[in-house]
Amino acid sequence: MTSTSATKVPIEFNDKVVRQFMLASIIFGVVAMLAGVFIASQLNFHQLNLAEWLTFGRLRPLHTNAAIFAFVGNMMFAGVYYSTQRLCKCRMGNDTLSAIHFWGWQAIIVAAAITLPLGLSRGKEYAELIWPINVAVALIWVVFAVNFFLTLHKRNEPSLYVALWFYISTIITVAMLYIVNHLSIPTSWTHSYGIFAGVQDGLVQWWYGHNAVAFFLTTPILGIMYYFLPKAAERPVYSYRLSIVHFWSLVFLYIWAGPHHLLNTALPKWLQMLGMFFSLMLWAPSWGGMLNGLLTLRGAWDKLRTDPVIKFFIAAVTFYGMSTFEGPLLSIRAVNSLSHYSDWTIGHVHSGALGWNGFMAAGLFYWLAPRLWNTKLYSVSLANFHFWIGTFGILLYVVAMWISGIMQGLMLNQVTPDGLALKNTFLDTLQAIRPLMGLRVIGGAMFLVGWIVMCINLWKTIRSGKPTNEVREIAVLQRGTVDTMGMKETFINDPLTYTIGGLLLVFGWIFLPPGADITSLICAIIFGFMAVRRFQQTSKTWAFWYEKLLHNYLPFTVLTFVAVVIGGLIQIIPTVTVNSAKNVEDRIQKLYEPLELAGRDIYVSEGCYNCHSQMIRTLVPDVMRYGDYSRLGESIYDHPFQWGSKRTGPDLAREGGVRPDSWHYEHMMDPRSMSPQSNMPPYAHLKDKAFDQKALPKKIAVLRQLGVPYPPMDATEIKMKALEQGVKIAEELKKSNIQIRPDCELVAIIAYLQKLGQFEQPAVEDALKAKGQGIPFPLSPVIPDKSRSAAILK
Amino acid sequence: MDSSPKPNSPDEPKLRDHVYDGIQEYDQKLPNWWLFTLYITIIWFIGHWVCYYQLGFGTSDTDAMDKVVAEMQAARDKQMESIDDKQLWEMSRDPAVVAAGKATFMTPGMCVTCHGTELNAMLAGAKLPGLPLDDQQWKYGGTPTEIFKIVRKGSPDITKGMAAWEGVLGMKRVSEVVAFVLSHHHEGEPITRAPDSPPVGGAATSAVK
Repeated sequence: MTSTSATKVPIEFNDKVVRQFMLASIIFGVVAMLAGVFIASQLNFHQLNLAEWLTFGRLRPLHTNAAIFAFVGNMMFAGVYYSTQRLCKCRMGNDTLSAIHFWGWQAIIVAAAITLPLGLSRGKEYAELIWPINVAVALIWVVFAVNFFLTLHKRNEPSLYVALWFYISTIITVAMLYIVNHLSIPTSWTHSYGIFAGVQDGLVQWWYGHNAVAFFLTTPILGIMYYFLPKAAERPVYSYRLSIVHFWSLVFLYIWAGPHHLLNTALPKWLQMLGMFFSLMLWAPSWGGMLNGLLTLRGAWDKLRTDPVIKFFIAAVTFYGMSTFEGPLLSIRAVNSLSHYSDWTIGHVHSGALGWNGFMAAGLFYWLAPRLWNTKLYSVSLANFHFWIGTFGILLYVVAMWISGIMQGLMLNQVTPDGLALKNTFLDTLQAIRPLMGLRVIGGAMFLVGWIVMCINLWKTIRSGKPTNEVREIAVLQRGTVDTMGMKETFINDPLTYTIGGLLLVFGWIFLPPGADITSLICAIIFGFMAVRRFQQTSKTWAFWYEKLLHNYLPFTVLTFVAVVIGGLIQIIPTVTVNSAKNVEDRIQKLYEPLELAGRDIYVSEGCYNCHSQMIRTLVPDVMRYGDYSRLGESIYDHPFQWGSKRTGPDLAREGGVRPDSWHYEHMMDPRSMSPQSNMPPYAHLKDKAFDQKALPKKIAVLRQLGVPYPPMDATEIKMKALEQGVKIAEELKKSNIQIRPDCELVAIIAYLQKLGQFEQPAVEDALKAKGQGIPFPLSPVIPDKSRSAAILK
Repeated sequence: MDSSPKPNSPDEPKLRDHVYDGIQEYDQKLPNWWLFTLYITIIWFIGHWVCYYQLGFGTSDTDAMDKVVAEMQAARDKQMESIDDKQLWEMSRDPAVVAAGKATFMTPGMCVTCHGTELNAMLAGAKLPGLPLDDQQWKYGGTPTEIFKIVRKGSPDITKGMAAWEGVLGMKRVSEVVAFVLSHHHEGEPITRAPDSPPVGGAATSAVK
């Protein structure tokens, strides 16, 4: 099979770009962690909200974006560029593309670091960057993709190693997720409205958000593990078969799990159920990666004592196993009802981000630095110190967050003995978790100290050596022996036929009308047994086909894309077609008046969603605390949706009309005047700034374009309406001896807050009329929730 | 690639021929417990889905919620029925009840925020958002049951006035708070309405009255 010609040529790898990415990752790692320690401290010491651009709401997106895109992003690129060249036995596709990729990515990071503190934000988590930067990210990602696939194309190694499978899935999936979730229409150079709203936006956002974790923080790092761990351990990978099964099941299942971020919300139940069960099914594939990592070390456990690289890798893989066990657990609806919106989730992501990503990065850098600078690691004992302080730091962090999350969750759920009233105010629960939030700061700071020790260690290492690019004699691969697989061979074969046939039957079970659904399930099970039987008889053919697929990068990429695209299509298309405003029967959100819309954009730009949800879940404690549970239609015009994912403060879905304007005024000026011991930043600066009147007509025009039924209004009318409402609020405030200009941002945000939770109940006839349209089956699937309620009514 | 299957030597992992940049791979069977984990989650998915969607077991979330909310409301109404002016005045003379009411009232973020520690809606000379509770002017009516209703349900237009506290505090603590407020007044003292009071006999007045 290895049909190479005898001609050998020396090839110099592009290790310069690897060095660049590595140094960038190390530096941005410090920035991201420093930001993390700072904003964590703000939660205990509100005085640290020093200026308007240093408030928690604006810095938290900076922290998350820096950690994901700057720190892990650059680390991933370093690992990918280093290992791909060696696994393909050729230099990276194109040096110019490599350079554009590096410098373009750093420019994006700098742009993000400037815009986010300025309050320029799209208001969706990990997708906050404004649209011109989105375009840049997409372009640079394409540059990366072209460069990567060019490398595959000219490779001198016939077969694709498992690390490359993971890189391929990363590149295509991130491109897909990023583009779809960032589709928007600009209203200015710095502002845009996403094309999705309400539940659709929520679904798309968490399809993206969850899979940013999957395909940005997990699959590329697994690829890195598959290359660097066996290298460092000098042991064979535990199981090739496990690689195959866990790779394909991981990329297929991960995409479906997004709705587990929206459990017990107004999201239709069938999506919640899919989100929960696919998360549970994801447990084994995730652990497949952990097993392949840990068990590769069999026979080399002694290295754990001596080699810091192995120490970091093994700890990282262990943390990976821990957080991928915790993930499915948190996805169970009953567990989630307690854990969601709490610090437990924060602990969970940090065991992944610090434990898995952070330690993989450290192991990678300790391994790379001596090789890239042709020297020896400066100090093993400093690396060991880094390891131990980092490990204790994460453990302290995670345990503090577990206790905090569970405690706050339980306290929020406590009721009086007669069961008719809540026992604790939100502020009570906040006071209870303060010490734990303090411990979290210490844990995070310990991790940061370890990281800085690594910086010093690597700096000394680099100083002792010289940048070196590896040169190798490589046998040139004869063209024509690989990449010959056609469409037919790719798609028409037993493994694919059985997989796709089985999946179609499973989808029939989910979407066919009652009666046909169960038939489809039975067929699927029978078909599954047939597939197993067939596999037992002809397993060699299956294995041979897969071997061949590994010699053909394009068919492999196409099949990977098919695997990752299915979940999104199945979940998002029915939601977009079925849950549009005209089909929501019981409640429709009232349109925002111009001033309220201006206020909403301020709410988004200040990052209020980082601490306040706008989603009362269908749970008794939520309803008792915040009022009637939220309905789908109540956020149907929200571009972007603001359901939130964390309650550092209380839910605001029905905040409108609960308190007088003067309360809001005082609370925004100094939160502690109205809510003693609150940790919210003050927003007094909103009083001095006029809201952007000029932008309103364009904004409303764009919203109309997106289907929000604003009546036609000209620019003057819009501005007048906004000012009139502002004057009304200012007059209301005057009764409480408060002087305020009617066109300031504070007035706008009060208008918005007072609007929250207002809805209309559309006439039943309209709803029925809207429902009567007969779209044929595949476009208008039978939503399980609907068929169930119909069957039960009968 | 070595194509000879070796079913008889499961303990000895087979090393694959191909070497990738010095990395080799064993070709061993998937761990049984691992496969079992995968299968059990798949079976759980199918079983749960069939039970809920095809067999119709279980109540939907919203139906279950609606039922609980209705039950709670019924229980609250029942508690409400048993309270009248006389009882509330009696409670206002019980030091234990008044102390409990005071504790709730003075809890940061609760009544005290808007009505002040002295119940005069002032803080260090500045006017707070609430109305004074220490005078004899009552915007929404000053009989104990009227006050009680305002605390429970909030002012008729809550965008301009007080929030509803029944859901937060529960009936017992609402009644204690009212008792605490009443302890600053006497039974039979004159009650005046504010100039901006809603008309008497409107929907806002208590059904008991």
